[in-house]
Amino acid sequence: MRQLTRVLGSIAGLCVAASAFAQNSSPGGWLTPQWDKPPITNANRKPAPRRSLAGMWGPADGPGAGTQAQGVPAKPNNGKPENQLPYTPFGLELYRSHKALEGFDAVLPSEDNDPRNRCEPLGMPRENHYNVRLTQIFQDEYKIAILYHYDNRWRIIWTDGRQLPKVVDGGVEIAGELRERRFFGYSVGRWVDDYTFEAQTVGTMPDDRVWLDSTGRPISDQVRVTETFRRVDNDTLVWSETIEDPKVYTRPFETMRLPMRLHDPRTDVMEYYCSPSEQEDYNKLFGNGASGKGAP
Amino acid sequence: MTRGFVIASIVAVALAIPLRVAAHHGAAAFDTGKRVTLKGTVAMWVYSNPHCLLSLDVTGEDGQVVRWIVEGQAPNVIFPVGYRKDTFKGGDQVAITVEPVKNGRPLGRILQAVLADGTKLGAATSPPSNAPVTPQQ
Repeated sequence: MRQLTRVLGSIAGLCVAASAFAQNSSPGGWLTPQWDKPPITNANRKPAPRRSLAGMWGPADGPGAGTQAQGVPAKPNNGKPENQLPYTPFGLELYRSHKALEGFDAVLPSEDNDPRNRCEPLGMPRENHYNVRLTQIFQDEYKIAILYHYDNRWRIIWTDGRQLPKVVDGGVEIAGELRERRFFGYSVGRWVDDYTFEAQTVGTMPDDRVWLDSTGRPISDQVRVTETFRRVDNDTLVWSETIEDPKVYTRPFETMRLPMRLHDPRTDVMEYYCSPSEQEDYNKLFGNGASGKGAP
Repeated sequence: MTRGFVIASIVAVALAIPLRVAAHHGAAAFDTGKRVTLKGTVAMWVYSNPHCLLSLDVTGEDGQVVRWIVEGQAPNVIFPVGYRKDTFKGGDQVAITVEPVKNGRPLGRILQAVLADGTKLGAATSPPSNAPVTPQQ
């Protein structure tokens, strides 16, 4: 009887979920993202599910809200003293060596050295700061998987109780073995309470491979990224991030607090990628000319 | 085709198009705040990453045809604004308002497009936060 009740409950849950998204159906079933959702108010707010981040999420303030072209949103790179990052001397030197296409010290197209424009993986933490749009989160009892829109990248945050590896010279140490650095590092997480999940990431790539943001702010392989995902209600998730990188910054600082809105799980996600050949065509047709080089 | 359209013109206008551009491959090359309206004939529309590119032939007052190349953001970014793979076809007569590059070359980025059938589309850039993203008819 208990099992039957559970099954009926699950079916009812599915019906409720389907009806909640029914207004977004479209002919042919290939749903496009619905960015003009009504705001969450007391009248339509539904309680957050316990210990769940699962869903398709998009920036609550619209598709442009996750672009972060001017750098991490909590500290936009706009030349204002209050947004100056606490660089170490090495960090400042590193920043000056980066030629970014965005931000206060932006250079012209074709004069940059952004790894993105060679289609390098963005890695952590930059993937959190680059055109965050539709982001899918799946989870099971061992892990949480985040599927990023840009370049079809994904990462795993382990929730099975394993320890964060120790950062050592050249990589991380796991069970006495030296393991390789990774673009997305090594992540573990835990539920702080039923609606707040915290993840830590270490073991990322060195500073010549990954930037913090599109304005050329640096990050090193000594970084520890702390992310907090707070499920405010059923439809709202606030994604925050703090970085600590003693090699590059003198103190930790918050980089973002991005509200995300739940989208219909059936929404089709268009591809958004870096292709070396398409990048080359773009430079040939536009980028070089915009920089005053070559044709046209 | 009307003479007014064939003799396409470049008109620098201070249009009341909001310039809230979320850049992707940089804003440093553009002459921020300047608007130019190009009336011309579509040569090619490339719906690709990292940016969509539209080339169009614009005839100046001196009778010289200049090929402009103007960019939009990547397909997934401009899809909500209404831009599709077949939005422009070769030979279409269109009016495109752009923010040109600083160096005087015939390059710019799309702030508004008036299609061959009169449909107006907004800036081919990331829609700003909380802005309406539906195409204007």
